[in-house]
Amino acid sequence: MNNNIIQLENVTISFRVPHEKIPTFQEYAIRWLKRRRVSYTYFNALNNVSFSVKKGDTVGIIGSNGAGKSTLLKVIAQVIRPNQGRLYVEGRIAPLLELGAGFDYELTGRENIFLNGAILGFSRKNIADRLESIMEFSGIGEFIDAPIRTYSSGMVARLGFAIATDTQPDILIIDEILAVGDTDFQKKSAKRILQYHNDGSTILVVSHNLDSIKNLCNHVIWLEHGLVKNTGPVDDILNQYLQKDHPAD
Amino acid sequence: MPKYDSAKRPPLIIDEFFQLIRYRDLVILIIENILKSRYKRSTLGIFWMLLNPLLQTIVLTIAFGTMFKSSLPNYAVYLLCGLLIWNYITQTTQYAMVSMTQGGGLLRRIYIPRATYIVASAGNGLINLLVSIASLAIIIFFLNHPITLSWFFLPISILILTMFTLGFALLLSTAAVFFNDTVDIYQVLTQALFFLTPIMYPPSILPTEIGKYLIWNPIIPLIDIFRIPIYNNTLPDMDIIIKAIILATIMLIVGWTLFTNKADQVIYRL
Ligand SMILES: Nc1ncnc2c1ncn2[C@@H]1O[C@H](COP(=O)(O)OP(=O)(O)OP(=O)(O)O)[C@@H](O)[C@H]1O
Ligand SMILES: [Mg+2]
Repeated sequence: MNNNIIQLENVTISFRVPHEKIPTFQEYAIRWLKRRRVSYTYFNALNNVSFSVKKGDTVGIIGSNGAGKSTLLKVIAQVIRPNQGRLYVEGRIAPLLELGAGFDYELTGRENIFLNGAILGFSRKNIADRLESIMEFSGIGEFIDAPIRTYSSGMVARLGFAIATDTQPDILIIDEILAVGDTDFQKKSAKRILQYHNDGSTILVVSHNLDSIKNLCNHVIWLEHGLVKNTGPVDDILNQYLQKDHPAD
Repeated sequence: MPKYDSAKRPPLIIDEFFQLIRYRDLVILIIENILKSRYKRSTLGIFWMLLNPLLQTIVLTIAFGTMFKSSLPNYAVYLLCGLLIWNYITQTTQYAMVSMTQGGGLLRRIYIPRATYIVASAGNGLINLLVSIASLAIIIFFLNHPITLSWFFLPISILILTMFTLGFALLLSTAAVFFNDTVDIYQVLTQALFFLTPIMYPPSILPTEIGKYLIWNPIIPLIDIFRIPIYNNTLPDMDIIIKAIILATIMLIVGWTLFTNKADQVIYRL
């Protein structure tokens, strides 16, 4: 597939929204006896979305709340399978969607490094080899052997970021987590992301902070109501975005 | 470089299998964490795992043992064999349903094989079963119940039981995601089935009008393939073994096919 590292063709995600509450066996049986079916409406969070990303690109994804940005990242990370359309991805993905999503708050930081590493698809041995470097980058210090429930939310995010980004991925997917942790850690994580970019990783970022999109990205995809409104070089699209929906004061 | 193409995905029943193999370290880690969290807080630690079935057996033996003194000598051995298998099947399936409906949120946030929690539940149940066999051995030792070569059949029994339990857990977990009263209905049904299964009593005490329906109770051959080698010290009859194998195979195929084909929708429902 030429040199596209990510390619989406007519991807549609429709969520089924029941009109009534989720059926139980009981209700289902009653309905069946009364010959009434549960009615649903379908809501397309993504509607015929097609685009491609070239290796080494940094792509920003913008759009208003509920536009489908997070859903799009989940499709690329293979969390949600498209109802229709095709997804092609080449290379290892580091998903930074919800930091610490796979943490068990009763376990210690160290145990969670292994758990989260396994969730990301690494072998136990691989994690054991990189334990030191993960611990060091997270800056958790002696808290590493305390249960995560005793951590501040910033500490949890730091640990999550450190695990997910310890080895260089082919594709880095980031959903609004650039503002994670304190300024010190923000700098540290931004530095690492830039480093990976310079070393050839492809990066996808969702953010409402247009400045950070402008700084990091060369290409922008503008989503609105599950449709691709426009794509192109960062300056063009950001200008359109600012003028159309948010006219300059 | 790993490649993913949704148009070239292998059939779901195969895809999920290979994904689980790829994520085997995760499955093992989850099992370890379940065991750890359950026994960490108890000061008795691993001994609690041994003690629990022992206490259960002692109480029930005191209550019912004398009733079946002539028909079931060494009643405690008979009872515990049945209880272990009953608990293995029901506790594993319930654990799987709960971990799928409550812990399943992770499946919406990050990619892991959809069957991860269910396979881990089955693995956890299997370990509990193996540990409980140690308490069974203690009782056998105290009662001077004979141990014979028929024990060598037990690995096969446990394999059959595990196939059945995993398949059943997959089936029920799929149902639990689509109908949220599955767990409640299942609990009521299993309680009723418990008394219709000869675990605390010998099959002979049932009146013939009821007894003749026992061949429709699918749990009986599954208990027999484990209990007969230990309690009766012989191999189970061939027709019992074949019944159990057919049952377990069908359950695993049905459960696996249903789960893997519905797994993508599960994400929309959780
Ligand atoms: N599991 C779900 N079931 C039903 N609808 C959903 C589900 N997940 C998301 N949606 C809907 O899909 C739409 C897109 O959601 P998404 O989270 O992708 O938006 P977003 O662009 O990331 O918004 P934000 O800027 O607020 O993060 C929303 O309207 C949301 O209500
Ligand atoms: Mg979002």
